[in-house]
Amino acid sequence: MKSPIIQCQQLSHAYVGKVALSNVTFELDAGEPVGLVGPNGAGKTTLLNILSGFLRPTSGQVRLFGHSPGAVPLNGKVSALPQDARLDPSFTVTEQLVFYARLQGMARQQAMLEAGRVLDAFALKEVAHEKPPVLSHGMAKRVAIAQALIGLPALVLLDEPTAGLDPVNVRTVRAVIAELTSTTTFIISSHDLAELDRLCQQVLLLENGRLQIETIREDEQPAASRFITLQMEPCPALDLMASLKALDGVVQVTNPQKNEFIVEYNPGVQLNMDQLLMQVIHSHHWHYRQLSHGKTLEEKLFFKG
Amino acid sequence: MPPGFFNHLLLISLFELKRAFATRRGLLSLITFAVVWSFILLYPLRFAAELLAQEKSLKQDFGFLDFIGLWSIHNWPIPEFGVFWQVALMIFPIVSITLAADQTCSDRERGTLRFIVLRSSRDRVFFGRFAGVMLIQALLITAAAFSTFALALYRDATLFSSAWPDLLALIVNLILVVLPFTALMATLSAQVKSARQATLWAILIWTFLAGLINGFAYYLPALAFLKLLIPGYQLTELTQLSGWQTLQLAYIPLLQSFILLAFGRWIMARQAL
Repeated sequence: MKSPIIQCQQLSHAYVGKVALSNVTFELDAGEPVGLVGPNGAGKTTLLNILSGFLRPTSGQVRLFGHSPGAVPLNGKVSALPQDARLDPSFTVTEQLVFYARLQGMARQQAMLEAGRVLDAFALKEVAHEKPPVLSHGMAKRVAIAQALIGLPALVLLDEPTAGLDPVNVRTVRAVIAELTSTTTFIISSHDLAELDRLCQQVLLLENGRLQIETIREDEQPAASRFITLQMEPCPALDLMASLKALDGVVQVTNPQKNEFIVEYNPGVQLNMDQLLMQVIHSHHWHYRQLSHGKTLEEKLFFKG
Repeated sequence: MPPGFFNHLLLISLFELKRAFATRRGLLSLITFAVVWSFILLYPLRFAAELLAQEKSLKQDFGFLDFIGLWSIHNWPIPEFGVFWQVALMIFPIVSITLAADQTCSDRERGTLRFIVLRSSRDRVFFGRFAGVMLIQALLITAAAFSTFALALYRDATLFSSAWPDLLALIVNLILVVLPFTALMATLSAQVKSARQATLWAILIWTFLAGLINGFAYYLPALAFLKLLIPGYQLTELTQLSGWQTLQLAYIPLLQSFILLAFGRWIMARQAL
């Protein structure tokens, strides 16, 4: 029987005078990347710190692969990108990554190759022999992500992996994660919901220390109503909404932000609503930027209604 | 299969050795120590040893060193070792407090410790760092003892064969002397935020603990055994001993280190990283 890689039971944590996590219970199986989202101060970093073994929960139980966080058998199996952690300024990047690889049980030669491999994956070969103080914020962040991938761990916890990175490097990080999903389960904490929408199938939503699990993809089962998110070039919003509302099967059209419209429709009445919408747009000589099925992750998680 | 406890202890302590001998900051500390030690060796230690040698050759009953309370130096057959013993008992605990202050604190504040504990247990990091700092101090003590040996040989080359047992006794004893100071710094380092704070706390704890226990022992002599808890408690008695007799008090630093390390390990296990 396949057992979950993470099991949290009634997990709570309180800092002096403030509850960060409250009775969080969930289980996760190995598989596709899982997003961890929530407003600032919701407890995301606290949860990741507990899972990584950096912090002891006030109460409750956590098991990773059947062991307590930080247990020796998890060495090399669980890795993490801790938030705001910096490398030792006295040693070069390679010296430190080789040291980490050796702690994971690699021989010296193998550790050198592994350090080179992870640095290469993030285009960091040119800073391999530099000391951390000379690295830019983005480079230091990529080095910190690279160390998390030493020895191909089975579970990697990434706290804000793309925060502060330029678009090219965000794409590199995304590509590396996508490449490793067959062997590694990623838990990614981020405020970049578009990023999580691209990478994850499932999202853990933390709000005020409480957790709920959301599935990102649209359910294939028949539903009473479905959604289409339409992003338009500048156009008369009221006219567009009136035109869409007039279509057969449309239940509701909302305009949550400028040039973005959410169309709720009944698939029983009109299954090919996307084609119909494009016909309307075309007939009015309006232009659209993007049409996607379902609501955006932002709408789903934070603006339910 | 993850590497064993001693494998990690070795890796972590060797990395600390590299920090001391192959980084700019480590080398700067070593050069400072070497300069201060050369000064001590070439002036106070050499002059005192020469004075002692002269007193011995003149067979004086009462010399200058007896006058200043260092009569026990006469117990050492080689005067340089006698003076080295007195000087080292004062200097190395101070070196230990400075050198061992930053075992885990700045790495914890910077977050570097997180990268390490993802691959090793907190126990291994705590004891590995302690072992590394002890190794560095053992090398410094050995180097200082050998430099004193060289000074003695420069005065009298015939001492070469007879000096080895005392030299070994000096090195072993001094390593034992710094053991509880290093353990105290390991414990403080696991709790405080910087090396500076660790040093300040060490001085405060050492002073207040000594004052408090001495005060209790004065009014309630039955509590005098608590003096065993003060790191360096045996130093005054050690100055009166020579050669392998000095190991008579070895149980005190070993006991102190055991208690301090157990307490430090307890803090380290509970500390948020």
